[in-house]
Parts: sequence; structure tokens; C-alpha cells
Amino acid sequence: MYLNINAEKQNTFDAIVVGSGMTGGMAAKELTEKGLSVLMIERGREVKHVKDYDTAMLEPWDFQHRGKVTTYSAEEKWANARFGTLVNEETGKFFTNDTDNPYIEKQGFDWIRAYHTGGKSMHWGRQSYRWNRQDFEANAKEGIGIDWPIRYDDLEPWYTYVEKFVGISGQKEGLEVLPDGHFLPPMPMSAPEIHFKNMMKDKFNRPVTIGRIANLTQSQQVHTDLGRGSCQYRNKCSRGCPYGAYYSSLSGSIPAAMRTNKLSILHDSIATEIIYDGEKGKATGVRVIDQNTMEVTEYFAKIIFLNAGAMNTAALLLNSKSERFPNGLGNDSDQVGRNIMDHQLGVGASAMVEGFEDDYVFGQRPNALYIPRFRNWGEDKQNYLRGFGYQGGASREDWSRGTNQDGFGASFKESLTKPGPWRFGFGGFGEVLSNSENRMYLDPDKKDKWGVPLIVFDAAFGENELAMRKDIENSCAEMLEAAGFKNISTYNRVTHLGLGIHEMGTARMGREEKTSVLNAFNQVHACKNVFVTDGAAMTSASCVNPSITYMALTARAADFAVSELKKMNLQ
Amino acid sequence: MNRRDSIKKAALLLGGVISAPTLLALKSCKNREASISDEFALSDVHRKIVSEIAELILPKTDTPGAIDAGVPAFIEMMILDCYKKPEQTSFMEGVQALAAEDFTGMSSEEKTARLQKLEADAKEEMKARDVKQTKIGDNIDEETMKAQAKGLPFWRLMKELTLLGYFTSEAGITSSFEYVQIPTKFEPIKIEADQKAYAY
Repeated sequence: MYLNINAEKQNTFDAIVVGSGMTGGMAAKELTEKGLSVLMIERGREVKHVKDYDTAMLEPWDFQHRGKVTTYSAEEKWANARFGTLVNEETGKFFTNDTDNPYIEKQGFDWIRAYHTGGKSMHWGRQSYRWNRQDFEANAKEGIGIDWPIRYDDLEPWYTYVEKFVGISGQKEGLEVLPDGHFLPPMPMSAPEIHFKNMMKDKFNRPVTIGRIANLTQSQQVHTDLGRGSCQYRNKCSRGCPYGAYYSSLSGSIPAAMRTNKLSILHDSIATEIIYDGEKGKATGVRVIDQNTMEVTEYFAKIIFLNAGAMNTAALLLNSKSERFPNGLGNDSDQVGRNIMDHQLGVGASAMVEGFEDDYVFGQRPNALYIPRFRNWGEDKQNYLRGFGYQGGASREDWSRGTNQDGFGASFKESLTKPGPWRFGFGGFGEVLSNSENRMYLDPDKKDKWGVPLIVFDAAFGENELAMRKDIENSCAEMLEAAGFKNISTYNRVTHLGLGIHEMGTARMGREEKTSVLNAFNQVHACKNVFVTDGAAMTSASCVNPSITYMALTARAADFAVSELKKMNLQ
Repeated sequence: MNRRDSIKKAALLLGGVISAPTLLALKSCKNREASISDEFALSDVHRKIVSEIAELILPKTDTPGAIDAGVPAFIEMMILDCYKKPEQTSFMEGVQALAAEDFTGMSSEEKTARLQKLEADAKEEMKARDVKQTKIGDNIDEETMKAQAKGLPFWRLMKELTLLGYFTSEAGITSSFEYVQIPTKFEPIKIEADQKAYAY
């Protein structure tokens, strides 16, 4: 877009949204649909929906390294490579170059980033679960961290609101632990999965449901209006979906915002500072640096939404120093950057399934089974707090089983063209407790090539998490055994915080200004026209995937912000 | 032959296909040179051995074989691009040993027997390696462990790359599996007689 940097008027909007990912997109949609002119600031390059998914329709043999990661890509994307194979040729361009965007690990931290339009919504896992009532109440009951300033009922209508727009496929189960939402038809289970579900009901009275996922099983008008079609079961979502069948900012919220003609998007523009006016007692705009030209420009707005991703949002607050806020905007409580949470994973079990030789599946389901939390729930009591859920399922082994089999030659080759035996596996997603010692801060000296201070991570899993991990591992094996599966092997690879890519908590909501950064409407306590609605806002983590909750909080905060603007409360 | 030449040669074998990122990495990534074993450079004899072994693993039958699917050049390119020093060294040592035994001059029965022995040895090595790594892992940090780790055995590398190269190639996929680009649905089904696996 053309911008005259000297003309403040041209650089003035009703609202600025920093970030174009899961929550930035939702903020832009909600604010524009309510009539505000919005400037969205994205630090990375522009990615156009469908047009720029240049690997989406490629054949397996079109990729030189056939899905493997090259040593030089792994080196360049040294942090992203910790997540696994996604920095390969199929999806690598949607993961940030860590060499150009370094950070400091006082303790190891796996920071997976996506600097481009749509951010991590481009390749999220799409699992979408409502929090339950307990999730909002547990901190207060157990004396962990601080209490949430809201309860389930505050968010419930907003869950429904965003679920309808996003499109979540799932099965209603009537469970308190995993509240039902507004669902599109569920994806089917395979024969061994149905067997497993029945066995868990019989032996443990534990429910197993099909994953609730943001892939359209049956697109509704709200989706087709935006050009979104139904899932084609290719399971190549992370390359970008040419059908718009999974939800991302690119397929959903940004097109919705664009059709209002109220949205402008700046790319390659790194927000470095929020401009605070001490006399007015509010923020007036955002300072950005063009990542290519290094040109610095200021943009102005009545309200500012921070949706840069939990860590970058906190860094932006910390870097916005003024006479009023010497420790960073809104940081009177010293809680900005603290209480980093994530979900722990890398722990579970797998097994061989005997039988079901006549059963197979057609198509690739981009989804798995879900076993909701059963620990510290109801009558169950453990020697640790909170709980975990499992994601996993069954599949027949493919040709790659041949690597571990003896033999070679014609009959070996022929045998690998048949579907292999069924395998069953689950991995846990465990809640991480809020702990103010788990923090990130800005390095006082070291800066990136744009002159922005580097983030230092100093956070680690605590005893509660490690105790939970053992249970995640053992309980998984126990369930697979109870289902009658054989050759069970467990794994428990302790990772760093961050690898769940659910990093959150660095500007938490709370009831008191002394101990929190945001109020019940995601408004910075001491700077009321700044809203934080990405993962930074989270007061606790639950064990379910967070994006749908972030989006519900965002829609709710946008609604509040616009009503406050109308009431002239943010002037 | 130095590293760059070796990579270029591998590219030529692939029909001149060398990705832009690969070329870029050759220019820009200083560490890359350091991370590749100096000893990894296949001679024509070595290439013949790799080619013959790949074809023995997945021979031409009524469907294409490893050579038809371009597997030998793929293996060399992959060892260069996706594996580090320990594997490159291990691969080189493996192929050199077979060259010293005049593998290509053996009868086909001798070759098969030699590969069976290679497989048995690799299996033992993998077992010992798992035990050793678990033991080391208790006391020494992961990085030290990685540095000390010996590369995967030559046979294992040959086998996994032959399978990968073949079963992801156009010739391999379309002749081995029921290849479906756009399934449009997901449903549990019953297997038919002589059902091939689906590939997508």
C-alpha cells in the first residue's frame, strides 16, 4: 500500500491490530465488521490465500528431498527444526528463519514462529476444544498463580460465536470435562478405533471422542461466502489448503475483514514500540520498522490490539518504555513476560494391533481421536495437580515398515505394496502451571538487525509437570494394554517449554492491577485503549488446545472495545 | 574430488535437478562445508555398488526397480543434503569395504549372501548401539552423546534411502500403490482381495 509517512492523518485509523495470526485476524474481522477502520501490522512477508500455497498440489516426487529436512535448512531454522520435519520443502517456507531472528536461551526454549500473513494459523493443529468450568476456577481453588477474572459463562456465547464462523467438526458427548460446542458433522473412526473406544468405556468408563477440528466436513453458507469448501481428506493442511477447508486467518478472518473495505494490511513491518502519551494517559499509536528498508514509520489509532503471539506481544510491551511506564507499557505489576505456560507433549505410547486385517480406510483423515482429561477429575486424585488429554489413533503401517524388516528382493518389494499391520498410539497434552519464575525478558545489550532487543527465555517445567509426565506415559500404556494391543512401547522425551507451540501467559488477565496486566476484557489495566487478546492474556493453561479460546476472548474483547469507544470511554 | 564437485556430480546424475535452496546453501552456508565429511566422495566404482545394492533391495519385476526410479542418484544426493558427518563417514566406509571385496565382480548368489551378512551385522550393530546410547544417556548430556555417536550402519542407510527413494518416486508410487491425489472423503472400508495400499 502507498503511505505518505509525513501525513499523520493518512496514518491514522480507528484501530491498529499488531499481528495477522489466529487472534490478529479475528480482531481485525470483529473490529471492521463493527465499522472501525483497521490497520493490521504484520512483521513478515505477505502470503496470499491459495495463490501462495505453491506446494499444495505437488506430488510426493516433486520434492527433491521427499519430505526430509536438509542439514542446511535445519541449521538455518535451528529452533523450528526442533519441532520435527515441518522445515522441509513441503511446509518450510511457513516457518521463520531463526538465524535472522535469534533469541537467547538462559534455559532451553523451543520458540516456533511463523512470520508471514496468517502466522501460525497457517499450520496449526486445528484441534479446537472449549475449556470447562473447572479450568477457569482451578487457580483460585488450588492457590496457583492468580484467579481468572472471568468464568466459563462469560465466554460461552463467544465460543459459540467463533465456532460458527470457524467451522468445527466434532461429536457432541455431553461431558462436563469437555463442553460441547457448535459442531459440523464428526469425522468417522476406523474399526480398531471404535474397538478402542468401546474398550475404554467398558474398562475405565473413560470417554473417547473423535477430534474436534477446524476442518469443514460440511461447509455452511458462512464458509462458502468466503470461498471456503469442504475437506478433501488429503491431510496436507500444513502446505496451505487450496480449498480453504481448514480455518486460518488467511481463509477465514482476513477475507471477512477485507470485504468490509475497512482493513488495510502492512507487511514486512515490525512493530517495535507502542507510542504512549503521558498527558492523555493513553497509547496513541505504534512505531514500526520496515524489515527490508529499515524505514521507521508511526501509525495512530484510538485503540490498539496486540496479537503478535504471546512472546512478541510481551516483548512489544516491555520495549515500550515511557516516563509513566519505565518497565514497559502496562507493566506496573512486573508480570509482563512472566508466567510462561505451554502444553507439555512428547510423551505417550504406541502398540501393535492384532486382527482387523480386513479393515482399512480410504482417504487421509487430518484428525485423530481425543481422550479428554480424566485425572484429578471427579473422584480421581493424583499426587500432582490438573490433568492431560490424549490425541492419537490407529493407522495401518505403510511401506516404511520395510526399513526395520529383514530381507530384500522381489518378494520383499511386493510385500510392501500391501497395507501393513495396524498400529495404535497416543500422545499426551499436559497442563503446565502458572509460575512467575518462568519468564522472558529483553536482553539489555543484544539486539537484532532491526535494533530490537533480543528476547531472553528463562523458563522450565516444574515438579508438577514432571510428575504428570510419568502418569501420561504409564496411563497410556495401561489403556493400550486394556484394549488388548501388543508390543506396547512408551516414550517420554522431555522437551523445553515452547514445543507445544501453545506458549502463553506473559500478560495475564486478573482481578487485581497489582498482580496482573489485563482486566476481565483484556484491557491493559493502566492503559485502557490497549488490548491484548493473544495467548499472552492467559491466566492458566488448561490441557486443551488453546486457539479457539484465544479467538473467543478476542471476539469478546473487540465487542467490549467498540462499545467502550461508543460510550466515549476510550477518548 | 572435493565436496562441491561431488554435489554437482550428484546433481548431474539427477538430471541436472538441483534445488535453488541447495545452490544457495552451497554459497552461503559456511558451516555446511564443515558439517560434511571430507571423505564422502563416491567414485564411479562406488556408484556402481550403490546402484547394484539398491536394485537388489528393490529389483525390477513386473513393476519398475530401484534403478528405473532413479534411486541410486537420489541416495547420494540425500546423504549429502540430509545427513551429517557420522552417517556420511559410515556410508563411505561401507561402500569402500565392499569395493575392496570386489562386490561388483561377485556372482549374483554371492552378492545376495554378502548383503544378508551385511544385514545381520547391521542388526547387531543397531542393537549394541541402542544399548550403548541408553547407557551413555544416563550420565552424559545429549550433545556429547551425539558427537560420540557413530553413524547409522551403511546397510541401514542404504535400505532406508532405497525404500524412500523408490516408494516416493513417480514410478514407484504409481506401480506399487493405489495412488489417490484427492480422496474427497474419509471412510472405513473392508479390504478387497489383493488390495494394494493407498498412497496419497
